[in-house]
This record gives sequence, C-alpha cells and structure tokens, in this order.
Amino acid sequence: METIQIAATERTPRVLLDFDNHNYSLSGESYPEDVSDFYSSMLNQLENHLGQLRDVALRFDFSFVYFNSSSTKVIMRLFEMLEETAQSGNQVVVNWYYKEGDEIMQEMGEEFALDLQRAEFHLLPMPEILDG
Amino acid sequence: MNVNELLPFRKSLTDQGILLCYNGYITEEVLMGIGATIKHKMAAAQADQNVTRGLFSLFVEQMQNVIRYSAEKEGSTRDGTGLVLHYGLLVVGMEASHYFVACGNMIDNQDVDTLRNNLTHIKSLDHEELKALFRKTLKGETPPGSLGAGVGFIDIARRATHGFEFDFANMDESHSYFSIKAYV
Repeated sequence: METIQIAATERTPRVLLDFDNHNYSLSGESYPEDVSDFYSSMLNQLENHLGQLRDVALRFDFSFVYFNSSSTKVIMRLFEMLEETAQSGNQVVVNWYYKEGDEIMQEMGEEFALDLQRAEFHLLPMPEILDG
Repeated sequence: MNVNELLPFRKSLTDQGILLCYNGYITEEVLMGIGATIKHKMAAAQADQNVTRGLFSLFVEQMQNVIRYSAEKEGSTRDGTGLVLHYGLLVVGMEASHYFVACGNMIDNQDVDTLRNNLTHIKSLDHEELKALFRKTLKGETPPGSLGAGVGFIDIARRATHGFEFDFANMDESHSYFSIKAYV
C-alpha cells in the first residue's frame, strides 16, 4: 500500500503512514478547522490495513506539541485500533513523545495508554531534534 | 470614535489588565492570527511553558466554541457560498498575576438550561473527576448538536488551573448572552 506522507502545517501534524514498513507517526500540532476532513480518510485506510495484518511488528510514534479537544477523539480511536491489531497477534509498539516538562502532553499520553493492554507503550521525553 | 473617546476606552482596558480585546466576526483566520500573537507574547514574557500551553488551549477551545456555536451569525451554508460568519467577543488579559481568556457570544434561549447545567456540573468536579468525565465522554456517542468531540468545556476546565466562571444574560425573547472566563 502506498505510503501516506503529509507535511506539517501550523495547525496540522506531520503525518507518516508507511504501510509497507509498518512505521507510523504523527508529530507537531493538531487543531484543524475540521478534524474529520483532515483525519477521516487516513484513519479508514489505516484501520483496513491493520485489520489485514498478521504476525507483524509495527510501531506508531506520537510526538505532539499541542492538540485541541476535537483531535482527542481521533487519537483515542488510533489507540483503540492499535490495541485491536495487537489483540489479533501483531506486535505493536506505541511511543508517546512529549516535550520535557510539558505536563499536559505527558498526562494525555498516560490517559490514552489506558486503552492499551497487549500493545507495548512507552512515554518518552522528546528528542531535541523534534523539539519544536 | 475620536481620540477623546478612544483614549478613555483604552485606559479602561489597560486598567483591567486586558492585553488583547477583539469584538466582531470570529473566523478561523482570526483564530490563527491571534493565536500566533498570543504565542509571541508569552515567549516574550518568558512565561512558563505549561502556562503558555494552558492559555493557548483555553484560547483555541473558546474561539472554536464561538466559531461553531455563536447564534449571532451572517450567511448560511445553504446560500451556496458556504461561508458563515459568527460574531463574538474575545478578551485575553491578566488578573492578580494569572492570565485569563474570556469569550462572549449569543446563544438561543432554549440552549441556556442545558449549557448552564453542563457547566455547573463540570465546575463542581476535581482534577481526577474531570479526567474520568473526559474519557467517558470521548468513549461515548458524541453529544447531539456537537460539532467536535463534545469535550471542549471539560478540556477548558482541565486547563483552567486557577478556575473558570460563566454567566448568562437574557437579551430578548429568543436570545441570551453567554460568557466564559478561564484562568491559568
């Protein structure tokens, strides 16, 4: 499946969905004018793809600086999808990067992780290079 | 307005600690422009990053509320232009060394009770209870009439580390004015 790669804007994150290499990431800010406009199609593609995978190791990196309340529903749905594919026997690693000292993003990562049982979760300070 | 009117107006704003005040059409462009200005101001003031992020969150949530729900609007998605301008009032300032964001907009009288009950409940919750309600609301069906995830006010309550207040004033038989002010 063709990789989805979208550059970041002031209000939307950089998106990488590398289906073939099982490598996914969202980074930056997320407060689009219309959340479904921005996320719906990629979420559906990802969901279909994850549903077909068997015995695969995949990784999803989240490196958010800020997201609005409308975006939280999307992120929660992503976590649910990742847990589901882990339950189906895939090896899933979720990395949640937050800017050191950013209590809001750290706490949000902990909250989303409540949905993960089989998927492996890491809460990590953001490497300097991503520090925006 | 001439200078004799503007100067006292300006003095009244500054005396109240108001850093920024906007009354008029609140659009996505206004949100982005003022949002960037707030970030610059907080960087220049060397504010704590959690205060900056909290203030920015309060700003985005309140502005998006006005853009989505203000009952005072012009244009319609049905007239072909797809452009609706929503009217509202934004104030950003500082009171007793805490930054605040306040917004005001018209709402339909029929929505007053629901909004008041919802906000009264949210205001009564502590940090852990807010987290639980946030999660429960996200997991459930999006509330009827919501254009987002339905957690905007809970998010405001969570980010308002020094509390928030809200009020309603009846304007006429069909509309009320709604205000919310949140401190970080």
